[in-house]
Formats: sequence, structure tokens, C-alpha cells
Amino acid sequence: MSRMVKLSSLTIMLLLCGLSVWAQSQSSASGTTPATAQSSTPAPAIDAPLNVKMAQPPSTDDLAKGDPGGTKTGTVNDIVVSDPNKGLTLSDAINQVGQNRVAINFTWTLITGFLVMFMQAGFAVVETGLCRAKNANHTMMMNFMVYGFGLFAFWVCGFALQMGGCAPAGTLGGANPLNSEHTISLLGKTWGIYGTRGFFLSGTTYDVAVMVIFLFQMVFMDTALTIVTGAAAERWKYAAFAVSSVFMGAITYPLFANWAWGGGWLSQLGVNFGLGHGYADFAGSGVVHAVGGLTALALALIIGPRIGKFNRNGTPNAMPGHDIVIVLTGCFILAFGWFGFNPGSTLAASGNGALRIGSIAVNTMLAGCTGSFGALLYMWMRYGKPDASMTGNGLLAGLVAITAPSGFVNTVSSAIIGLIAGFLVCISVEFVERVLKIDDPVGAISVHGTNGLWGVISVGLFADGASNYGGSWNGVNGSVRGLFYGDPGQLVAQLIGVGTLVGFVFGLSYVANFIIDKVVGQRVSAEDELEGLDIPEMGALCYPDFVLKPNSTPAGAMVSEAAEVTMPLHVARETA
Amino acid sequence: MKLIGLAMALLGWVIPVVTLVISQSTTARMVVCLLGLALSLVGILVVLNKGHLKEAIWKA
Repeated sequence: MSRMVKLSSLTIMLLLCGLSVWAQSQSSASGTTPATAQSSTPAPAIDAPLNVKMAQPPSTDDLAKGDPGGTKTGTVNDIVVSDPNKGLTLSDAINQVGQNRVAINFTWTLITGFLVMFMQAGFAVVETGLCRAKNANHTMMMNFMVYGFGLFAFWVCGFALQMGGCAPAGTLGGANPLNSEHTISLLGKTWGIYGTRGFFLSGTTYDVAVMVIFLFQMVFMDTALTIVTGAAAERWKYAAFAVSSVFMGAITYPLFANWAWGGGWLSQLGVNFGLGHGYADFAGSGVVHAVGGLTALALALIIGPRIGKFNRNGTPNAMPGHDIVIVLTGCFILAFGWFGFNPGSTLAASGNGALRIGSIAVNTMLAGCTGSFGALLYMWMRYGKPDASMTGNGLLAGLVAITAPSGFVNTVSSAIIGLIAGFLVCISVEFVERVLKIDDPVGAISVHGTNGLWGVISVGLFADGASNYGGSWNGVNGSVRGLFYGDPGQLVAQLIGVGTLVGFVFGLSYVANFIIDKVVGQRVSAEDELEGLDIPEMGALCYPDFVLKPNSTPAGAMVSEAAEVTMPLHVARETA
Repeated sequence: MKLIGLAMALLGWVIPVVTLVISQSTTARMVVCLLGLALSLVGILVVLNKGHLKEAIWKA
């Protein structure tokens, strides 16, 4: 038997060797090596007509039969021909490739911009749900019209100041009408301050790519504006809100956004001072959320707390919102819209590292998820029950915090950033209310201000250097890396950005709203506030069919004078 | 008091920016940034806020 096995094995080996020799002889006979190749035919001239028939396009008869399988739709016949007399040329085909890439990027940027616009609805219902019913009409109307006021201000001058000198967005075609930045020379360096092209989107900025950039930037700007309405809700005069929003959309937001995204001095900290890649803010934790949150802080200081919020000894009273259903629904709307906010900030879905849009979307989801975990755990451990409104704020805090680093970090970092944000928002809400004695009905200062700054700092810590958006960022070659991945300079750039937000943006917002307070008056009268703003300010109740509580003191005001904390309503009822 | 708080906030921003030109050291820049941030935050959250709390509506 063993002799049979040996004989069979030998036979098989000999067969395999023979097959191998035969196979090698076949491949060398095909003549694929350059040394043995025949002389190649010259490439066709770029404008010479191509032989379209070689691409086997479907015939007219084929097309008349319909195309249920999709195999005859989208062929060489669909390439735009520049000269019908000449027919399809190589130049036409190459141009079509470029146009397709730009069209993909246009479509991506516009669709994601539409998602961000829809976030206005999310903010509107979150804020309204967290306010009392007697102010619901007023709160909704602020969030509704902030869209119009902000858009108008941005179209008139905000966009020009922000993006007027931002250089071409290579992903949206190479045209460059946004090419004028006002700079100053100071301390031996050139500092970009604001743009000067694009007022009313007229002149050379009447351009297809500029329109896409305008829409995308406008919806981001409006997010910052709407944040402020939450902190001043239930006592802000509608006229003052209108003036303040226009100023913010025209001046405050565009200035900082120019410095970060429009080619201004913050983005050039890497080029000018060797600080990493300059201030890096992928989708706007700083530019959008911290600007909104810090303006909200300035306004909350000027406008003062609601009547009944604090007792004479400074202890706060709970003033719960009137509809948790729309609060959490609004949080979902915002989470959905954030898929436009972060991934859309690539301004591309083709080329220049744009395929990271999937990673960015997952980072966004994860941070929101762990943000809600953090807040849920904190409130459950501290007060014995999971609190719905704070859990919703935890989700939002995670989303805010991941906004800046979303394009630069991995999923583990995203989860950590979100979790910290969830804890941070709870601690910040207590600090703002109990220690600072500032009234913020919806937690805008903590969600957007505190976590916006955390998001900016987290870029300087967690950016991992794996991203590659065209080989450079802010004019510095290579990928953005934070402290934990070897670049402490990046953290310094982020801290400069944080300092600019806290010092300059807050300062400008404070001064502007102080002036508005003196000229227009920010706060409604005490009588109007106690009645509820719907009738005095808007002329109509939000819920005319419902009987609202006649007593305007807080429904949750069951905290004794000795207590030092604002307890959630369910806890107050148990201890009363 | 409010003016002092505002001035502290602005100074806390300006000093780190100026330091960028004076020093090339990343560590020095980071330290000055953090100190500047602390100055701004104290100016806003302590000094400016105290100025507003003096005339708070709930103290009336």
C-alpha cells in the first residue's frame, strides 16, 4: 500500500511540474514585457474626434425598448460634446470627469446644508418645550424669525466679511471670486481680519460655487444665532431680539468665522507661528457653538434672571418646561441634522480625503450617544432618577463637543469626548445656576458655550493625524495632530482660539448688547413677564384652548430656603 | 466693576496673542495662554458677574 501511495504522489508531482512549465511558456509567448513590445501607436490629440462606436453605445432601437436593468442608461452618449460637428473628443471626456467630481461635491454640500437648515426646527421645539406654556408663541417666533433676520444680515454683509477673502474651495471648482481679505501688519506678521468681497452676492461673486458656499455657511451662522434665544427666553423683548440677531449675523459671527475659516489670522497660526496647523475647527464647536454660547452668556448677564428664578437668599427655583415630548423630539431632529453639520463640512464627497464622510458621521453619532450616557448617569447618581431634559442636553453636548474634532479623530476618541461632554454639561448647568446665579432657561450657555470650548480644546488633544484632506490643512502640509499624537503646538493654537472666543467674542457681544439695552431695551416689563410674553409681545396665545396656570411663580418652587440646590421637580415633590 | 471685568476679559486674550511674537517656546506659549484664559474667565465670571449681581432683580 505504501508503495502505491509513493507512486501516486510522484505522478502528481511530475504532473504539476509539467503544468507549471507549460503555464510559464504561455505567459512569455503573450509578449507583455516592454522590451519585446511592438512600437506603440501615438496617443490621439486631445481635441481629435474619438471613435465612439468602440464604446458600444446602445442604439436608438435599443433605447426605444426601455431599460429596466439600468445597463443602457449612462453611457458615452451622455457625455456633453463641445462641438457637435466634431463629435466626442478626449477633451470632452476629461472635462466631463472634472464636471462630475464638482457636481458630486455641489450636491453633497447642498444636501447637507439643507439638513442643517432643518436643525432650526429642532432648536425651536427644544427651546419652546423647555419654557413655560405662556411663553411658547414668543419662543417659537424667535426661533422662526432668527432664520430670516440672520439670512438677511448674512446676505447683506456677513458673508462678505466672513468669506470674502477665503481663497478657492478646490472641491467646488477652481473659480476664485472670493479673493479679497483685509489684512493688517502687526508685530512683523500679516493678520487677516475680514473679507471684502461678496456683499449682496453681487458682481464677481454671482457665481455657482459661491452660492453653494453661501448656503452652507449661512445655515451654520443661523445655528449660532438661534442658540442665544434660549438663554434669554421668557423675558427678551422681540424688538431687541431682532436687532441683536441682525448684529450677530452681520458682525460678531462673521468676524470670528473669518479668522477661523475665511483665511484669517487664527487659521494662519500654523503658517505664521509654527503652531500645528493653526486653529483647527472642522465643523464649528468654536465658530458656531461657542460663539453662540458666549453671546448667550453676555445676554443673560445683561438681561438678568426671570422673576421668581432666585429667592432673596440667592437659592434657585426650578422652572420646568411645559413639554418634554417636543424637547426630546427636537433633540432627535438636531441629531439628524448634525449628519449634515459635521460630514458636510468636508464640502466634498469626491477627492481630497472626502471619503472620510462615513468616519465623520460615525464619530458624530458616537459622541452624541456617550454624551447622553454621561448626563443620564450623572443625574441618576446625583438625584436618584434619570432626568429627561438633562439627558437630551447631554446628547446635544456630545454633539457640540465632537463638532470641531469630528474630521480629525477616531471613534474611541469620539466616544471619550462625548462622555466627558455629558458630565460637563451637568456640572456646568449647576455651576451657572447655583454659583454664578445666572438664569439660563434651556442650558444654552452650558451646552453650547462650555462644550463648544471643550470641543475646540479636544482637537488639540485627540487629533490623530490619520485624516488627509488634500495633503494639508490651513496651508500647513500633513495632517492635524493633537498633543496625544505628538503635536503640542496644535493645542496652543486651539487655546489661542479659546482665548479669542472668551475674550474678544464675549467682549464684543457684551458691548453690543449693552448698547442695544440702552437704546432699545432688552427686557420686557415685569407685568408682561408675569403674564407671559405670548399676549403682550406676540398678541396671541400659543395654546388658546388650554387654561394656563394663573400663578406665574415656578411650578417646581418647592425648595426650602435652606436648600442649596435646584432639585428636579420629581425630587422636590418627594421631599416636600 | 463691570468695566474692570470686561477689561480683564480682553486683556486675557491680548496677552497670549502678543506672546506669540515674543516667545518661540511652545511651553511658554501654552503657559501664557492658560494664564490669559484664567484672567479672562475671572474677569467675566467673578468681576463682571458680581457687578450685575449687585443690581439683581431678586435682591430688590
